[in-house]
Amino acid sequence: MLEIRDLHVKIEDEDREILKGLSLKVPKGEVHAIMGPNGSGKSTLAHVIAGRDGYEVTKGDILWNGESVLEMEPEERAAKGVFLAFQYPVEIPGVASLTFMRSAMNAVRKARGEGELTTPEFIKLIKDKAQKLKIDMEMLKRPVNVGFSGGEKKRSEILQMEVLEPSLCVMDETDSGLDIDALRIVAEGVNSMRSKDRAMLVITHYQRLLNHIVPDRVHVLADGKIRKSGDAQLALELEKSGYAEFQEEAA
Amino acid sequence: MEGKLPVGVGSEALDEQSRPTESRAPALGNVGLGRREMNVAVMKTKAEQALTENFASVEDQLPGGVDARKVRHAAIGRFGALGLPNRRVEAWKYTDLRSALKEALPPSTGREVDVKPSDLAAALGPLAAIDAQQIVFVNGAYREDLSKNDTENAINVGSLAEALSSPEAATHLSAEGRDDDPVLALNAAYATDGAVVRIADGTKLDKPLLLLFARAGVEPCFAAARNVVRVGNGANVTLIEAFVTLPGASQGGQENMATKVSVGEGASVAHVKCTIDSVNGTHLANWLVDLGARATYHGFHFTTGCKLVRNQVGVTFKGEHAQIDISGTFLVRDSQHVDTTLVVDHAVPHGTSRELFKGVLEDQGRGVFQGKVIVQPNAQKTDGKQMAQVLMLSPDAEFDSKPELEIYADDVVCGHGSTSADLDEELLFYCRSRGIPEAQARALLIESFIGEAIEKVEREDVREALVELAGRWLAEGGTAKGT
Repeated sequence: MLEIRDLHVKIEDEDREILKGLSLKVPKGEVHAIMGPNGSGKSTLAHVIAGRDGYEVTKGDILWNGESVLEMEPEERAAKGVFLAFQYPVEIPGVASLTFMRSAMNAVRKARGEGELTTPEFIKLIKDKAQKLKIDMEMLKRPVNVGFSGGEKKRSEILQMEVLEPSLCVMDETDSGLDIDALRIVAEGVNSMRSKDRAMLVITHYQRLLNHIVPDRVHVLADGKIRKSGDAQLALELEKSGYAEFQEEAA
Repeated sequence: MEGKLPVGVGSEALDEQSRPTESRAPALGNVGLGRREMNVAVMKTKAEQALTENFASVEDQLPGGVDARKVRHAAIGRFGALGLPNRRVEAWKYTDLRSALKEALPPSTGREVDVKPSDLAAALGPLAAIDAQQIVFVNGAYREDLSKNDTENAINVGSLAEALSSPEAATHLSAEGRDDDPVLALNAAYATDGAVVRIADGTKLDKPLLLLFARAGVEPCFAAARNVVRVGNGANVTLIEAFVTLPGASQGGQENMATKVSVGEGASVAHVKCTIDSVNGTHLANWLVDLGARATYHGFHFTTGCKLVRNQVGVTFKGEHAQIDISGTFLVRDSQHVDTTLVVDHAVPHGTSRELFKGVLEDQGRGVFQGKVIVQPNAQKTDGKQMAQVLMLSPDAEFDSKPELEIYADDVVCGHGSTSADLDEELLFYCRSRGIPEAQARALLIESFIGEAIEKVEREDVREALVELAGRWLAEGGTAKGT
């Protein structure tokens, strides 16, 4: 289970607090959605869970399977099963996607005490998963995300997620920049990963992704705190009413 | 910066860097590399004195007939007048050789040193995997016993030491109009040997020709050698120069190299220089290249070695529609100093030139890039682009970049840029969030950074060897450890 307790976060070297006492529990086997207006702290939450530098946790804790992750390096968290799908996946010129995924997978397998896959095993694994996500193997020979369309980048993120087999998936605005077809493919990928051993946190601004990935719980994040929680129905209500009431409340 | 430049507009750097870059207006009409400003006579340093005196004591042992001797005398005379270049000489502003060279080591005159082929392979490392014709020089002397060349008549490889007795001696040792360059003058005076390569018209060589210069022996010495390569019309060849230190040899030493390459009409030459030798040595090198019409020349510098390196490249377009690409990567750590200085002279119309240099600087490492592109008044339709980029992985590292465009024609496209930055934190976090440990992630990103330059090397076997050499350099040092 992911458990976030009274989390207070600010940007390093700045006074402004971004998360102001956020508490949240996501049990294994469940998919939770975090919705909220721009600037509410959604991306900060995603980055802090994954261990990005530049943020300071001034109070509270993040526990994954009962263990605090705050002192862990990003790669240690990845080894423990944490995965962050980026809102804006970065381009790495000169490093082929396949090479990158293999490095990542072997690093994670090594840290988890599993053996490295042989080349044929690795290629077979990628081929099967790539096909489902409608990713061409030729594309994976190209450098990571270089020259990929927005949709290709997001599908590539989901492919990496499937390959690394995380037990906690955090998806930061995975729907942004996707057309409806790409959205459906991405959602199918995510849905295929739903499992009783896996917790998923889907961060989004819009409700439309949640038509495809139906969450068990929906939380409204505004001004650094969870303002309201409910079932999937809450997302539909938000679509009608917008975030105005929460923003006013915050102000 | 890109776009058409009006007559006489000089350099203007596209700078996105965190450190100041030198950009200077062109010194009109002055095209030499080793320009010496008007200044008063200065006291000779210990090294300058020794370089002149040592010549007198070894000249009888240097190869060549009367003609060669005459050229050598004139050259050491020029050196005596010029002295070692210092920072007041514009072309040596960032590399003060006069203060860096504290002493002159005893010149090697080609004494025999016992060398095993396995030592050569060990020193070459990944380069040994390239299937090449191999011409070996140890401390500046040709070693037939270690060389292998099965090209039969396709190419003629001789030793400069022998060629200096021929009527062509003066041509071989000439400064190609660069009489004001003291380093080149020292090379002409002291050159003990080198390869004289003739490639017949239309010859296509499958295997590269590897000129291997090895430092051997426990006593550091000064070795000077010169290669003279003439590539016939329509010929196609890959030339590799490798500078290595043999296992157990002194980590010091001084080297002065010059390679003249004349590329015939429609010929295609790939020329790779790997300077991977001793950590404490000094390595000064000149490439003098001229291009015939429609010739293609791809030069590449890979440098990890030596305390002080100065790679000078002078290219002259003699025929129209020729294309060059001069690129490279320099990996610098500790208190190493690596200087790349290019002068590309578009003397005729329709020339294309590309330069891309990528450096990695650690510790107190210092990189220098000077790139001068001259477009002569009649060299219309010239297309020139230049870029120098470094990764600064330490606050104590330094990069000095000085692009210079001297454009006297009005219908040309020329541009240049220079950047320096630390590793991208966003990229680093991305890799680490996927489980790749920090050290490995840093190495991956550095490889990716220099990869763009190494990609310029067309032959896969050579490219793979360079990637492997870069990987070893990364594994040896602190780069991967992070800051």
